[in-house]
Amino acid sequence: MANRVAIVGIGQTTHSGRRPYVNDGELIYDAVTKALADADLSINDMESVMSGNMDLFEGHHLNDAMLNLYSGAAGKPGFKMNTGGTVGSMMAIQGWYHVASGLFDLVLVIGWEKHDEGLVTPAISTITDPAVDRPFLVGAIGGLATVSVAYMQRSGCKLEHAAMVRANASQAAARNPNAHMREIYSVEEVMNARMVMYPLNLLMCCPTSLGATALILASESKAKKICKKPVWMKDHVTVHVEYGGAQFGIGEKRWTSHMEAGAKLFKRNNITKPMVETQVFEMYDPMAFAIPMWLEDFLICEPNEGWKLVEKGALKLEGEYPVSPSGGVLCTNSIGDSAILRVAEAALQIRGDAGEHQVTREVKQALASGFGGSYWSDLLLLSKTKD
Amino acid sequence: MKAKTQEELIYLNMTMKVPYKWRTGETMGEFFRELKENGIIYANQCPTCGRHFCLPKSVCTRDHTKCTERSKWIPVGPKGTLVTYFMAEQSFLLPTTGEMLKIPFAVGIVLLDGAAVILQHQLEETDTEKIKPFMRVEAVIKPKEERKGNIYDIVHFKTIHE
Repeated sequence: MANRVAIVGIGQTTHSGRRPYVNDGELIYDAVTKALADADLSINDMESVMSGNMDLFEGHHLNDAMLNLYSGAAGKPGFKMNTGGTVGSMMAIQGWYHVASGLFDLVLVIGWEKHDEGLVTPAISTITDPAVDRPFLVGAIGGLATVSVAYMQRSGCKLEHAAMVRANASQAAARNPNAHMREIYSVEEVMNARMVMYPLNLLMCCPTSLGATALILASESKAKKICKKPVWMKDHVTVHVEYGGAQFGIGEKRWTSHMEAGAKLFKRNNITKPMVETQVFEMYDPMAFAIPMWLEDFLICEPNEGWKLVEKGALKLEGEYPVSPSGGVLCTNSIGDSAILRVAEAALQIRGDAGEHQVTREVKQALASGFGGSYWSDLLLLSKTKD
Repeated sequence: MKAKTQEELIYLNMTMKVPYKWRTGETMGEFFRELKENGIIYANQCPTCGRHFCLPKSVCTRDHTKCTERSKWIPVGPKGTLVTYFMAEQSFLLPTTGEMLKIPFAVGIVLLDGAAVILQHQLEETDTEKIKPFMRVEAVIKPKEERKGNIYDIVHFKTIHE
């Protein structure tokens, strides 16, 4: 039986498209010191320090070794992770494993990325088989465009709904001082942006940002001593699937990594009405079709209903079921940081510390997700109470 | 960012050019040999679940069994159904060649007739008004003297009307 784990410290840098006066390590240091200050702990209290990013984005292989002075990892056990878009959520989950095992009481996990240093799309394209797929994948955006076309085809969702999602996200990000793209866009402005990868235009794609997020995870006995508002990591699921016809319902019933993750998490926690029993979802939403499509895939709403919830305004910050009230990945995307930022933002919503973008409904339980690699999913359930 | 940020400090420009030589493995090697010598697209089969893979896989994702029995290979396509697609209207750097992508560039996810898994390849059609999910397409294979035993031996998928 796993021991209980709580988030007791949260630190994030501000996010932007360029931050020329810091290097990679200085960026990490900024998030780490903020998390330590939030928990009122020192780096010497941390028993393990682990970080994650995508080596190829900064062109710096195994950078955790050289950057350990900034992260505070020197002399401590731990490892570095690189799992694509899920890096950040995997960092939170790896921290959970360390503490839940009973071997560690306090662990610091960091997700970061500095996209102003390299080219994202060619780096991402190298995830595919060089012999067969690589010439035909144009970064993450190519793959996300194909699933968007398929979603429009099967559900009746239109480009306008994606534009509504992006316009809503812009309203949310404008209230989040740490978000990267904080400009407010109308649905018309989103619709008129230049096409990048049909059906995704420039504003329907996530930006390339830079930033870092650090979380301090604690065992139950430590959490009670050091923190007034611990956020409990109640459960989490990681799913890897075959990239094949099942994604598109070809030759068999449609089944995706998100569907598997939602089914497992909700069953294990006896959640039958996710939109009632959880009150906010910080979703890894890397393009504008993601929120409606993946609410369906996580089995949070019925098939083909996601875009109708967008139309009703139900997913806005003050709506019936707020999704990504921070502005989400759509407005801030420093990839290795993106998924841990979802966990951090969901935890802030539970603590009631999200500031101007705090949702209006009371948050007792929150969901956070990660997505990436080659159609891999992480889904986490956070709670205000430990049981 | 609205406010002018602090003046930029020194930065370094670097380009990493790293050459690689990847082994295709016995299964993809045989697939490319058939494509080059006979112009035929083959699918292999998982002995456990019976699914036909095109592109072939040495090991089945679901059963973790070896799928190398050559007598179980079957020709698939060249006709198939377009499942979905994307259309690049902006160019990006290609990691395979170091060149910029020639746009417009449409890529389809195609289920070849007889196969159980999907294949991703270029579409001839680049007008999004004319590309419809579930339309029929056919692989255009290069003439024998131009084939090299790689994925470009398939030029693209053209739209067909049946």
